Amino acid sequence: MQLFLRLSLIFLLFVSVAGCYRMRSSNGGAEGTNLTTNRPLNPSDIELPAGYTAEVVASELTFPTDVAFDEAGQVYAIEAGYSYGEEFLEPKLIRVAPGGNKTIVATGELNGPWTGITYHNGNFYVAEGGQKTGGKILKITPEGTISSLVENLPSLGDHHTNGPTIGPDGKLYFGIGTATNSGVVGPDNYNMGWLKRNPDFHDIPCQDITITRQNFTSTHPETKQPMTTGAYQPYGTAVKDGQVIPGAIPCSGAVLRMGADGGTMELVAWGFRNPFGLAFAPNGSLYVTDNGYDERGSRSVWGVGDYLWQVQQGQWYGWPDFAGGLAFNGDRFQTPSKEAPKPILTQHPAKPPHPAATLGVHSSSNGLDFSTSASFGHTGEAFVAQFGDMAPNVGKVMAPVGFKVVRVNVGNGVVTDFAVNKGTKNAPASMLKKGGLERPVAVKFSPDGTALYIVDFGVMHVEDGKTTPQKNTGVIWKVTRTTH
Amino acid sequence: MKTLLYSLLICLFLIACGTAKRGEPAYAPVADSEPAIAQGQVVFNTYCTKCHPGGEAGLAPSFNDKPLPGFLMRFQVRHGLGVMPAFKEEVISDDELDHLIAYIKTLKKAKDDKAAPAS
Repeated sequence: MQLFLRLSLIFLLFVSVAGCYRMRSSNGGAEGTNLTTNRPLNPSDIELPAGYTAEVVASELTFPTDVAFDEAGQVYAIEAGYSYGEEFLEPKLIRVAPGGNKTIVATGELNGPWTGITYHNGNFYVAEGGQKTGGKILKITPEGTISSLVENLPSLGDHHTNGPTIGPDGKLYFGIGTATNSGVVGPDNYNMGWLKRNPDFHDIPCQDITITRQNFTSTHPETKQPMTTGAYQPYGTAVKDGQVIPGAIPCSGAVLRMGADGGTMELVAWGFRNPFGLAFAPNGSLYVTDNGYDERGSRSVWGVGDYLWQVQQGQWYGWPDFAGGLAFNGDRFQTPSKEAPKPILTQHPAKPPHPAATLGVHSSSNGLDFSTSASFGHTGEAFVAQFGDMAPNVGKVMAPVGFKVVRVNVGNGVVTDFAVNKGTKNAPASMLKKGGLERPVAVKFSPDGTALYIVDFGVMHVEDGKTTPQKNTGVIWKVTRTTH
Repeated sequence: MKTLLYSLLICLFLIACGTAKRGEPAYAPVADSEPAIAQGQVVFNTYCTKCHPGGEAGLAPSFNDKPLPGFLMRFQVRHGLGVMPAFKEEVISDDELDHLIAYIKTLKKAKDDKAAPAS
């Protein structure tokens, strides 16, 4: 009996210690990343299910974000040309020959990041993030001639113009992320860099909304003056109760579509935060990965996962007042020691649906694609690249989150690891001092569906609020099934 | 008192050295063919995995590698602990909680070697 009591005491003590979130310091992958210019690569450091094998297709890329394939199955990659950490470079479209030799096909302007690419009817389509002059959808010929299908998309802030992908209707679908974490411009946006360049930029709703009188006071990082700011306003502009914010197209946190050669933009759905990955399932349904709120800024939100949504035409998905279909109506999403977020909109356009899947808090679940090949396996499941946490900038975590590729049964929301670094703990390769995955940002199946390409952005470190991405550390991996 | 101290040290040692990884890709898939386990897996993925990805640490601590008996897990789910919210019957029904605990017990044991694929 005495032993039982002692063991119970141990259990309770253990549970208390393990559960004491407030007492622990953050221990994420970004802060644990080791900066290196000479990244070792070893496919055998990546754990895969039995029967699968990985290889390196290309290395020494700078901030790669996506791949595409032409009719012949030739691999092309894009380098973003911008990274968090305010690193501006020229974005590039690169042909990757078998064996890994790289040839530059096209070079863009200092307005990255190029976040995604697709190939359709003989041309490439690229989403240009728009950090300097606004987002664009570019058309690039195989000879490298670049033209804009649309410009001035409102993606000068925290998140960018994303996608694109071609739907079964032949239209081009793309995403636009929000300017801010949760609707209110503040010093966190100054730290990101964009608020210095674009002091008047803010979020734009897709249709007219009426908001409550919630104003947030922060200290301007340079002038040290108090700044009172309301939602959907420039930094330092307050709102009144019942103020109507006019909607517009294009807007923030939305998925839009247009013809493959341009034309009028149509709203597909809105109320996302950062709809990064867009892909159509084999049954024709559109799915989108959405990066959840961070624990930062004037209106901090805690404990929010990333989400995979099945997109319904015209639906509102909840930003800035819901997370994963749950309303901000109590202390459920309260950052410890801060005020719980309260609803901003007086009336919500709809009750958001439940997500198709819930992914790790701060996992930065980004690019996705669907398996269509029985030969590769897991037909109809979504594969999602998890870039990995940016802790502590996005909030505190107890261990690295993400840094791997997962597969999702979109029928029941079950998430299973597919490619993850070997070792007792999950972490980016540089933290483990191994040669495996660092920051998977996109996944794409080859046209025949038999190979999964993983785009690995490379090394990125976060410390004391400073983000440091490492050039020439990006990699493209290829996973194939060798035995059944 | 010595027993208590040693037990605590052994506990901490095991926690520090063990891996919380379970199931694919490091091990054989989690045995989810039983309907109750499969239902518990869905509950787990709906409410738990965002903070405890696959039972590993993330926003919150891992539990795959912790010797938590079912009644403590059940208590923690219903009442919360620290910053972990409570999940009441309106959110996770009693049946779903039974399935969830059954799944977590199965997940914690999913450390079988991967089957060698047929060549």
